[in-house]
Amino acid sequence: MTEQGLPQLDPVIHAQARLRVTVALAALRAGDSITFPRLQQLLEMTAGNLSTHLRKLEDAEYVRITKAHEHRTPVTLVELTLRGRVALDEYTRALRRLLDVTGNGQG
Amino acid sequence: MDEDDAEPMTAEQSLALIARQRERTRRELGVNPARLLAVWGVAWFVGWGLMYLARPGENSSRFPLWIPAVVLAVGFAAAIGYSIYYGTRAGRGIRGPSNLAGAMYGWSWTLGYAGLTVVNIRIGKTGLPWDTTSLLWTGSSLLLTGVLYLAGGAIWSDKLQFGLGVWMIVSAAASVFSSVPGNFLVLCLCGGGGFLVAAAVYTVRGRRPGRG
Repeated sequence: MTEQGLPQLDPVIHAQARLRVTVALAALRAGDSITFPRLQQLLEMTAGNLSTHLRKLEDAEYVRITKAHEHRTPVTLVELTLRGRVALDEYTRALRRLLDVTGNGQG
Repeated sequence: MDEDDAEPMTAEQSLALIARQRERTRRELGVNPARLLAVWGVAWFVGWGLMYLARPGENSSRFPLWIPAVVLAVGFAAAIGYSIYYGTRAGRGIRGPSNLAGAMYGWSWTLGYAGLTVVNIRIGKTGLPWDTTSLLWTGSSLLLTGVLYLAGGAIWSDKLQFGLGVWMIVSAAASVFSSVPGNFLVLCLCGGGGFLVAAAVYTVRGRRPGRG
């Protein structure tokens, strides 16, 4: 086939848990954010596990985490950044190309 | 337990995971208005249907007018209560522009109907014949309902909701071209029926996988 080699998959997203987090966040409308407990409930992950993965996504600047106060109660809001949205798009495109190169589902 | 240690996913597994998570998030976050529309549909269908059968203004009334009046009041109170519950549930845990849009849309119903009530009561007291007043109420209620569904369709890019709005506006016109008690039959069949058909379509659509 081609000599260009296989498309590189973004290691930040190419891990089950972080992929699920990214996909869930991408479902929100641009500019919207979700509270940590609601996201946790949506993904059925433990708080610790979700925090770990969110931190990695935040380090890559795919996710923005804001702490705010609502009626004196602290809330953590999570939002996918534009960079994160683009990364997910590119990752999905890379997967499709990978499938094409390896002959549609042979790999 | 970091899932990074798990077996690396193949491209296929990864795409399947994306599809599954997308579908799940869509179901969880996207509140399906089927039940809300069904509640309103039943309230309109039964309430206005009874009002039509009571044949207000005719001597041959089959049963007293207070029966449909009570049924309508109870049905509408229940539907309004459910709408408020639905509205607060929809944006649970979500912050940002779509939350604000939802809140403003909810208030549009309250304010719109408050304004309509004031206008219609005032016009009704100018000495209009009672059956013209009745047409004023049915026509304007259907029209306002239709316009608000047009707006809802525009906000959430929902063609079905926009279509329901168009249907309600056509029904508004039909209601003023009929005479009392025909206008109540329009409210029952076109208004209530429209809600119920829309609820059925949303139910079928919600069961079908894929597509946001």
